[in-house]
Amino acid sequence: MRNLIAFFKRFQVFMAFVILQAVALYLYVNYMSFPKSQYLTSASIVTGNILKAKNDVTKLLNLSRTNSILQKKIIELRKERPESFFKMDRDLFKINDTLFQQQYEYIPATVINSTFDKRNNFFTLDVGRAQGIQREMGVFSDKGVVGIVHFTSEHYCVVKSVLTENINIDVMVENNGAFGLLKWTSQHARYGNISGISNDMRVKKWSKVVTRGGAGIFPKGIPVGKIAKIKSVEGKPLWDIEILFAEDFRKIQSVYVIKNLFKAEQEKLESLIPEDKEE
Amino acid sequence: MIPVIKHSIRFILFVFVQALIFNQLEIGWGIQFMIYPLFIFMLPWEMNVFLVMLVSFLLGVSIDSISNTYGLHASSAVMVAYLRPYIFKMFEPRDGYEAGPELTYHNMDFRWIISVQGLLLCIHHLWFFLVEIFKFNEVLYILQKTLLSVPASFVLCMLIQMVFIKKNNAR
Repeated sequence: MRNLIAFFKRFQVFMAFVILQAVALYLYVNYMSFPKSQYLTSASIVTGNILKAKNDVTKLLNLSRTNSILQKKIIELRKERPESFFKMDRDLFKINDTLFQQQYEYIPATVINSTFDKRNNFFTLDVGRAQGIQREMGVFSDKGVVGIVHFTSEHYCVVKSVLTENINIDVMVENNGAFGLLKWTSQHARYGNISGISNDMRVKKWSKVVTRGGAGIFPKGIPVGKIAKIKSVEGKPLWDIEILFAEDFRKIQSVYVIKNLFKAEQEKLESLIPEDKEE
Repeated sequence: MIPVIKHSIRFILFVFVQALIFNQLEIGWGIQFMIYPLFIFMLPWEMNVFLVMLVSFLLGVSIDSISNTYGLHASSAVMVAYLRPYIFKMFEPRDGYEAGPELTYHNMDFRWIISVQGLLLCIHHLWFFLVEIFKFNEVLYILQKTLLSVPASFVLCMLIQMVFIKKNNAR
């Protein structure tokens, strides 16, 4: 016993070091898989407010760019307004439409903190539970997919962006419907990968990649990017496809969060599928 | 000024400057500026190593919580704090450290600064990128990031010491 105490006395500095190191690494590893506590993230009230103040300053730097994007969008929408169509067939349509029911709603938000050169990149948005944001909602911008809401607080939320190792959004090549999972190899903020497309499919360079809309997180057809490089995986009948993201995450400012009104229904239905039994 | 208050103010300044300015700068090639180890270097050299580690841990966690890295900076800061006394001892001047002035650019010779602060920055950056990437097939990328970031951080630390730290201030 005395030896043991002597041992601890001798190595007490090292022990303290090991304990603190273990706490830090435990936090780091845990944060990636499932967030248990939110006190130490940028979704908490204190850091959320600090970042908001910072964003109030830095958003002015991107004002002209944001403006031109909005202008383009306005022109696009204006084209689709009833006033800009010539009516060929008068007074035949009624607007009360039961064929189409609203499935997706969109909540606008501003990115107040973001990174793009880390191993896993998270964005903080200025909307939270008070605005109806929940975990696992999709986020996209004018140009393309951005990420999935990782966790929320009352007025902020943190988004696990596409620039994260295992984001696994299901995407498909637009012209032939081949689908796979979106990955990121963490080398460059503009390039991602798709895994799981079998190599008997013919895939063309520069064809568009869009979301498949399988998991009910994203609607079908939100742009993701364009195929930039096609290689074959050695020893497997799969393509290794590199894509150029449509959105430049280094400049991202305003985004939309997707609210799927039918999600509960889809989840309930899919939970009826019996799970595979592992041997 | 009372040392405790002075270091507390420095603590807050370092957290904000690191998290809100230098963590937002992204200039490519994997270069990342990290200046907060300077705060740990400038703590009094005879300070209890437990206390230094605890303060460094808090410093790291504060930076992590703003920039969503959650434990990365804390881990590297604790690493620096743990190794600091050994490295100080390794490069101790012939007649020991003086009890008065801080161990900064103004009070130590340049060779000491380069070896002690450079070495600790190297260890810090290497540990940081190792933990962040943690893949053996990307060793070259880790080394590239470390080798490019250390000089950048070192130059910044030197500038901060030259410009903002007063000469010969007693603790």
